[in-house]
Amino acid sequence: MSSTEAQHGDEIVRVENVVKDFRSGFGLRKKRVLHGISFSVRQGEIFGFVGPNGAGKTTTLKILMGLIRSSGGSASILGHDVRETAFRKHIGFLPENPSFYDFLTGREILTFYAKLSGVSGSQRVERVATLLKWVGLTQAADSRLRTYSKGMLQRVGIAQALVHEPSVVFLDEPMSGLDPIGRVEIRDLILRLRAEGKTVFMNTHILPDVEMVCDRVAIIVQGCIRYQGDTQELLVEGERETELVAAGLSAHSVVDLEERFAARLRGLGDRIELRFAEKNTDEMIRAVLDSGGRVVSVAPQRASLESLFLSAVENAEAPESGSALTGMGEVE
Amino acid sequence: MIAARRILAIAMNTWREAVRNKLLYTLLFFALLLIAVSVFVATLSYVERERILQDIGIAAIRLFGVAIAVFVGVGLIHREVDRRTVYTILSKPLSRTEFLIGKYVGLVFTVWMQMGVMIVAFAGVSLAMDAPLGAVHAAAFALTGVELALMVAVATLFSAFTTPMLASYFSVGVWVVGHLTRNLRDLGAASDSGAVAAITAAIHRVLPDLEAFNLSTEAVHGLAVTASDVLLPVAYGAGYAVILLVIATLIFERRDFR
Repeated sequence: MSSTEAQHGDEIVRVENVVKDFRSGFGLRKKRVLHGISFSVRQGEIFGFVGPNGAGKTTTLKILMGLIRSSGGSASILGHDVRETAFRKHIGFLPENPSFYDFLTGREILTFYAKLSGVSGSQRVERVATLLKWVGLTQAADSRLRTYSKGMLQRVGIAQALVHEPSVVFLDEPMSGLDPIGRVEIRDLILRLRAEGKTVFMNTHILPDVEMVCDRVAIIVQGCIRYQGDTQELLVEGERETELVAAGLSAHSVVDLEERFAARLRGLGDRIELRFAEKNTDEMIRAVLDSGGRVVSVAPQRASLESLFLSAVENAEAPESGSALTGMGEVE
Repeated sequence: MIAARRILAIAMNTWREAVRNKLLYTLLFFALLLIAVSVFVATLSYVERERILQDIGIAAIRLFGVAIAVFVGVGLIHREVDRRTVYTILSKPLSRTEFLIGKYVGLVFTVWMQMGVMIVAFAGVSLAMDAPLGAVHAAAFALTGVELALMVAVATLFSAFTTPMLASYFSVGVWVVGHLTRNLRDLGAASDSGAVAAITAAIHRVLPDLEAFNLSTEAVHGLAVTASDVLLPVAYGAGYAVILLVIATLIFERRDFR
């Protein structure tokens, strides 16, 4: 399958049972950082690869970019093994905190990347000028990169990832270190890429952005995929909670309610806020009233990606062997 | 053809980086200063002024040429990984081998360009002092150019797997030993021990024989050189550099950029 043949919904990125061991101590010790992960990214979607620091997000992305060799399993993009190079003319990559040759100007670096990507001489000048304008760097185009701010370098990073008009774009923490305006701009840009039919793979830990832009997500924790699927389905399927504010409860009653309903408490002056599983709402209201308290308000809480993410991290126990969630920890 | 274009793009960028590097101009300045000082030193002598002038001049070109080759070459790959510039470059349709060869070609071009500036200065002072200049000088500089290309390959090899500091120690070590292997072999051959002779001969074969590129005596004294005196060392240097680059490529291909 080539990029030109890819149809909406086709698998553009396929990762199957990928394992990665890093060697240390003169190569005698191995540390397993990816435990046979599997996931796929479909054509035309924005895919969020989410996980805490050290979960294996960047390692996975580097394997896809051919910067790191996997120790096992297989990974392909557009039907090509990631160890090949020719197909890379169809992909763009923005690394985390991108760094460039600071002795070059913005225009020179984009021209350089365009040459490497095989953009022909006749198209190069026009394409570079268009991208500089697109990322708002036309004014600074002929200044050396060493004079650029972090936000400007991020824009250069995005421009170089798009200079050859790739069909798949990989972004590693694209909002990292940006101010709120910069984040909104990058978010809009990602949505614009999808509107143009491009597939976007995004590594991130900024969950509100994932909720807002990603069609599908995979949550990786300790080198294992804990969840992958549709973002909205994930939020619907996730356990819903109820927030109840009560007044007039004795300290003894509050402790009793906390224990009975596994509720989380927060003091609000003379009131108390209780958060608990939605299914216990009726019983909780009755219990509050029976305890002599008064119900001030009851509000259903939609599960956020953040709460699901935290739950996945908290539930990450020692992985079992033989499954996609396998973890082996330190191996000799 | 397309691979050549990508290699050229990397090479041109390496050259551009080098010519915007102040360290290079510092080294070049001192090389030119030494060539200029050679005029002063030569005038202090009553005899063989031209020989002293050219001895110092050729030595300056060789010494500073190697300094540029080693000190720019050892950071060639390490800088790319350390500054993470390699991430975006290798995500393009470019193989690691093309990248490494491009870096090598760019640095060799830079070193030769610097050498060209030094040769022009050398020729200028030689003409000013009425010192002879001829084909033998051209041959001597051609072989110096091959030696520098070989030293860039040595530095590139070490740069592919170790830190700039260690790579510079190793590269300077190879340069020093490379100029001694011929003497070592001759000493071993004169030894009574067959084992010593075999070991020194093996060292001479394995390590580069950099004296093969040294025609400074012939140049200074205006001695005749044959075509084979030039062509054989050129073939030897090119072959040796290719072997080093193949090893560097094999190492570089296996590296993880964490």
